[in-house]
Amino acid sequence: MKVVSGDLAPLTRRKFIGMGAVTLASTALGLPRPERRLLQMNAYAPDAETPLDLLTTYITPNDLFFVRHHWNATAPDPRTWKLTVDGEVALPLELSLADLKRFPRTTVTCVLQCAGNGRSLYTPPVPGIQWRYGAVGNARWTGAKVRDLLAKAGVKGTAKHLHTAGTDDPPSKTPPFHRSLEIVKALEDAIVAWEMNGEPLPPLHGAPARLVVPGWAGDHWMKWLAKLSPQPDPEKGFYMDVGYRYPAKPGEPGVTFKPEEMRPITELFVKSNITGAPARARVGSPATIRGVAFSGAPDIAKVELTDDDGKNWKTADLGREHDPYAWRLWSLPWTPKSPGKVRLAARATDSRGSVQPREAVWNQSGYLWNGWHSVEIEVTA
Amino acid sequence: MTAKASLAVVAALAIFFAALAGLGMPKPSADLPQLGTLIAPLPEGPAKGVADRACLNCHSGDVLRQQRLTEKQWTANVTKMIGWGAEVPEDRREELVRYLAKNFGPGNVAFRPVAVSPIRANR
Repeated sequence: MKVVSGDLAPLTRRKFIGMGAVTLASTALGLPRPERRLLQMNAYAPDAETPLDLLTTYITPNDLFFVRHHWNATAPDPRTWKLTVDGEVALPLELSLADLKRFPRTTVTCVLQCAGNGRSLYTPPVPGIQWRYGAVGNARWTGAKVRDLLAKAGVKGTAKHLHTAGTDDPPSKTPPFHRSLEIVKALEDAIVAWEMNGEPLPPLHGAPARLVVPGWAGDHWMKWLAKLSPQPDPEKGFYMDVGYRYPAKPGEPGVTFKPEEMRPITELFVKSNITGAPARARVGSPATIRGVAFSGAPDIAKVELTDDDGKNWKTADLGREHDPYAWRLWSLPWTPKSPGKVRLAARATDSRGSVQPREAVWNQSGYLWNGWHSVEIEVTA
Repeated sequence: MTAKASLAVVAALAIFFAALAGLGMPKPSADLPQLGTLIAPLPEGPAKGVADRACLNCHSGDVLRQQRLTEKQWTANVTKMIGWGAEVPEDRREELVRYLAKNFGPGNVAFRPVAVSPIRANR
């Protein structure tokens, strides 16, 4: 294994001064110095999550946005790439990227979260990428509405499920990642996006175009999108019939279910994370606690913090920036009352009244972890 | 700003940062590796060669090294992966499961993801 060297790289004066400024600002807030980085969960196929201390902005920058692959994929050539629209339609379409861009342009700002984000936090452990907190980000996605594409193709009333496929071929005998979602949701607000945060969609995020399904887990957000096919029935195959399913009635931790006792994952669960808190604080001196909150519901109603294991809660201020299914930044000045180790926990409530639970509901694939997130702070007199 | 004043500012900054360093402020880190450039080998053991050939064609050892699974869970996963094309000689299968359960069992807490550089736009 190559070892990550702790030695200092040669620094220019500008870089040194720049880092000094960042250090000063962070130290003044009592925060660790943010260092732009990702955490590698799989060298290949590329999987990496964003450290929580970098998820502090309304928009997650493209270069810090988590990446997730089922296998080593090759991004198609945007000059020859085509999006096929077929199935239960009057007029099948084959759209080039230029054709796609002639549809009315729309932008949505929303959270993309991997269905397995937080898998490592479940007990007993379950197989799969052991994501912690950072397989999530919030971005502006620009593209064409699925509704407009399907209207152009003349989608029929017999279509109930939108089948989707990408250009990535699985290795060996691995089943293809073919998926479908209810057509009602696709027609409501899904888009085929070719831009991410104002830049061309990066290859690791599915260039030239991917599906965006606001409020729903990442398994629906087909990358390197090649086909949209409205059909009467759901897609079949491993990634529909076995993978990405959640128990209809979850049991105790460790209890597993047959696929037919489970349902495909759809909406995200309400969740908040603490992304900024000091490691140390002083009695009587306010410290600012910051975080993000999001849900499969369009908005977050409130975020609360407790420093006494849920007996009392204080309501945080929600950030001004807000879009349906985007995350809300939140912050709360917190003043420690007595010395010692304090555990601060956050919970969110969404606009439909769902409350983030103390413990996430264990499930055999480790999906949608959303237990209270907490940090420990050393309080001195 | 005159050359003399510039020098004074640079000197003041140098003293300031030297003082910060003396206070034990965090040091700037080395440049980070890129995603995919650090490939950790699987641990030594009688079935390492079998695991290398069966698993590492499709994914890195990171995926194994972060698991905490019982022998029963490993058996199920090895069966699944053989079905997906992993090449495991039939007479080495149990040995492979034992190797995985021994190294990446429920008590395996050794995995730490390496910090890598942000992803460049052209990748």
